[in-house]
Amino acid sequence: MNDNAKIPHIRSVETRHLEERETLFRGLSNLDRRSFLKVSTGAAAAALAAGASNHFHSFLPVNVAYAAEGGGGVQGQGFTFAYISDSHLYVKKTNERFVRQLLRAVDDINKLDPQPDFVFYGGDLAQLGRKEELDLGAQILKSIKAPVHMMVGEHDWYFDMGQRWNELFGAQTYSFDHKGVHFVVLMSVQEKDFWSARGMSPAERMHTVAGLDNAVQSAFEVGAAQREWLRKDLDKVPKSTPLIVFSHSPLYKLYRPWNFWTDDAEDVQALLQRFDRVTVLHGHTHQVLTNRIGNIQFHGMLSTAWPWPYAPQGLPALTVQMNRPNPFDSNDGLGDGTVSVHPDGLVDKLYSLWNRNPMQVKASYLSSGGKSDVPVAPTLASY
Amino acid sequence: MNNSSFLALIVLASTLAAQADSQSSAPQASPATPAAGSKTVKLCDNKTTVQVPNDAPKTRAEGQKISDALMAQWKATNPDTKWVKEEVEAHQVVTPADNSKLVGTGQSSTYGTVTQQDVQVWKNETYKTAVYGSKVFHSGDELGSEIAVSCDMCHPRAANTHPESYPKFQPQLGRVALLRDMINWCIEHPVRGKVLAPDDPKMRALEAYIIAQRKGVPLDYGKR
Amino acid sequence: MNKSDWVRPSCRAVLICLAMAARGAESVAAEPATAPHGAMPMPAQQQRLDQLITGLSTPPPGIDPVAWATIYVPAGNEVTPERIALGRKLYFDTRLSKDGTLSCATCHDVSRGFTDHRSVSEGIGDHLGKRSAPTTMNAALLQSQFWDGRAPTLEEQAKLPILNPIEMGHPDAASAMGAVNTDQSYQALFQRAYGRAPNYDDLGRAIASFERTLIFLDSPFDRFAAGDGAALSAAAQRGLALFNGKARCVSCHMINSSNPLGTDNRFHNIGVSARKQNFEALAAQALGILSQNNDTAALDKLAIQTDMSELGRFLVTKQRQDIGSFKTEQLRNVGLTAPYMHDGSLHTLWDVMDHYNKGGETNAYLDGGIEPLNLSENEINDVVAFLFSLTDRRFTPQNEAALREQQQLAAKNRPFRDNALAHRETLPFEQRVMGPAGLK
Repeated sequence: MNDNAKIPHIRSVETRHLEERETLFRGLSNLDRRSFLKVSTGAAAAALAAGASNHFHSFLPVNVAYAAEGGGGVQGQGFTFAYISDSHLYVKKTNERFVRQLLRAVDDINKLDPQPDFVFYGGDLAQLGRKEELDLGAQILKSIKAPVHMMVGEHDWYFDMGQRWNELFGAQTYSFDHKGVHFVVLMSVQEKDFWSARGMSPAERMHTVAGLDNAVQSAFEVGAAQREWLRKDLDKVPKSTPLIVFSHSPLYKLYRPWNFWTDDAEDVQALLQRFDRVTVLHGHTHQVLTNRIGNIQFHGMLSTAWPWPYAPQGLPALTVQMNRPNPFDSNDGLGDGTVSVHPDGLVDKLYSLWNRNPMQVKASYLSSGGKSDVPVAPTLASY
Repeated sequence: MNNSSFLALIVLASTLAAQADSQSSAPQASPATPAAGSKTVKLCDNKTTVQVPNDAPKTRAEGQKISDALMAQWKATNPDTKWVKEEVEAHQVVTPADNSKLVGTGQSSTYGTVTQQDVQVWKNETYKTAVYGSKVFHSGDELGSEIAVSCDMCHPRAANTHPESYPKFQPQLGRVALLRDMINWCIEHPVRGKVLAPDDPKMRALEAYIIAQRKGVPLDYGKR
Repeated sequence: MNKSDWVRPSCRAVLICLAMAARGAESVAAEPATAPHGAMPMPAQQQRLDQLITGLSTPPPGIDPVAWATIYVPAGNEVTPERIALGRKLYFDTRLSKDGTLSCATCHDVSRGFTDHRSVSEGIGDHLGKRSAPTTMNAALLQSQFWDGRAPTLEEQAKLPILNPIEMGHPDAASAMGAVNTDQSYQALFQRAYGRAPNYDDLGRAIASFERTLIFLDSPFDRFAAGDGAALSAAAQRGLALFNGKARCVSCHMINSSNPLGTDNRFHNIGVSARKQNFEALAAQALGILSQNNDTAALDKLAIQTDMSELGRFLVTKQRQDIGSFKTEQLRNVGLTAPYMHDGSLHTLWDVMDHYNKGGETNAYLDGGIEPLNLSENEINDVVAFLFSLTDRRFTPQNEAALREQQQLAAKNRPFRDNALAHRETLPFEQRVMGPAGLK
């Protein structure tokens, strides 16, 4: 195309994208297959940042992607698991939107190719802890093809203190091993009794806890009994074994007024510190959230129901925010995701945001203290 | 007490009533002696009553009217004195500016004389409006939500409402909006509730609360 | 329809005339199609145009003048009478197609709402493409052109169909300039317009300048917005309230004085293309192909010729957020530009309402702003009444004819209606995930 110098060529969003894409693919088209695979880990990351990939593993064989990984310690196999979290279901005739959104997440997970090793549910399946809500959630989650591990949230618990949850899903605290990684699932939304002195009914207690900003409730904690269980559980695990801890509350102290908080966080972290590689995955915060304390890497899980804004104080420095959601789009700022576990046990966390390009937060970003593999910044920050 | 439990009680009371007739009229608070051709509907407190004509249709709408009348009477005789304290205990509301420095100072004029009581009246009224706003903000029922959604679900303590950026072009509305336009849009769509008239006390209170929570942030109209 | 349209008698014209009479003399929407590919002959179109636009004014009426100058006219291609005259000649010139049967005006026909009233357009050799021709009316006010926005300006857009093998068929710019370069009148016109010898880029600029005169923003809605309370029927006024409220249209189809078209200029997946295929498989396939050959011509070919076309904006940006997304088209004069959507699959505005009312077509990439609306039949009728009120008053007879035609079609058949979804009894994704029985 020739251009008269006097007439500026209008560069729009479209032409910029065309140029960027040309650069990327020109590089790729010259490679043979072997080098394609090696280079494409980096290219895939770049492409992923632009959202080009349907699913991280959709055109990269898992084994080759991690074959180049170095690092000491035990080398297990790499694997992937998926997550869905924070669905906050009402019964369908009360609020059909939240139901539809959980169905959408299940649809996403069932369509992953290859299928994940298992699916993890991050808590707050029900909104007000009612039996009908939990039963509805259980019914929907049965349609997930891969095996499902469950974790409880405060919205599931404080109507009947976990009675229906235990009937449906078993114990709220447990651990298991998978491909060389030790997984621990905690009930980290214990609250000291605030309801008896006030003579609250179960519904009033649940309503109080259901308000994120309701100051009448107590701070979340893991509690002494569960910490003792954790200590005993971890006693048998060598420090070189990678650890992944699931917790509903973040297991650190972010913002007390919204209970983005675990009161005995330091005590729990102390139990985890001796391990070489520890990752905590938490729910409750309904947003992209990233932190590192000592050697522990923390990642939040997305909600399927509604997004939270970022707290006015206490946001970890490593967190690159997700873009401020659009209230017209009831699915914006929401979604599900996958966790890719390296052979060394650290994880890359993929946030599959609906109708947005996915965001990936890599272990290398956290290990480098935020210097490398930095996620793309938001256009519109929460304020 | 809420409306639905009132309704249940009235249905119970009405089953004891007499036959239908040709006229119908609104229920009235009971006079000393009941009018002929009407029955007394009593609340479970055994004190509050209304008169309902015998011919009043036994429909849900009519039942709601009776319930509302009983509720209004009961509220008048049992004012809720604790609502501010309870609301503030659950949800912190930023206090208004402190005007106490104006007391007893400066050039005097009738209008310009400020007393301690004045300052307290201003503060109390302003704060109460914002606290009422917090109450509405945190309640799907107050907004008439059909899907049990309240504002605090996306905006805990009015976070991310950014009132200082209005008026601005609001893409979701396709035009320039004031804060109350956006409030109403949110009520209609994410909350699926009943849109408020601009001078509705709830709308005014919601604006007051949202603005209160952003005290100290500079105005920046048009900011996206 | 004027008597002068019938100046050229022929057997065929007479037969068509009889057929027209049988259908009813007021059927102004169907003209005698004597030009190739179903278009009205070029001279007749130009006459029609002269009746529609009786004087040129800049800025055109109906748009905020500050917006016009700052947003919609690019520096370096200011609108001048010489550029308009050159662009007009080019727009109607069939030599811009390889076989001389097509001009811009074939698919963007003055008599057919500046489009072609077909689901997909027909090009050289009677090849059918994959996309519906958008209207040239008000196209100057869009932020990008084509359903996938791959041309940022009118200038860029004009140059692409000429070079597309199944549209106007020239193999390259030199071939496209063949007629221009050998025509003395064009030499003079180009000199007067741009002060230099004819070149392909200026050809695009000139056509763009002409298209900037095709502004049609004088509708009953505009009169109503300006203060004439009687300009809209009661039904249309109710429809306007629904448009801004329960029906949720305004958030993507915004209308204001600086952007009067009824579009947000963005790209959304509303599920139209999900009715016929498996997105996930198509997306994976597309990435493979495009990594080999990614220049504009290949994109254009893909968009028009293959199934990849259904991936929409994704073909331009390669971003996951754009899979199956197409541009929010303008709503101005929408009554005249049936059939609707990027593939022309929706034939009436009632079909369009049914599509949105049930929450679009469920797919893994559906825009979350699309959800079941729970609109009643009366509410649908009101919104349609409002949409028909967005037609410029110069087209009132055609608009009314189109309304009657669509009413008849809709009365017979509503293929996209799904009340269970619309009224939220069944949920999107419910049967995909839970099976045919759905949720208990």
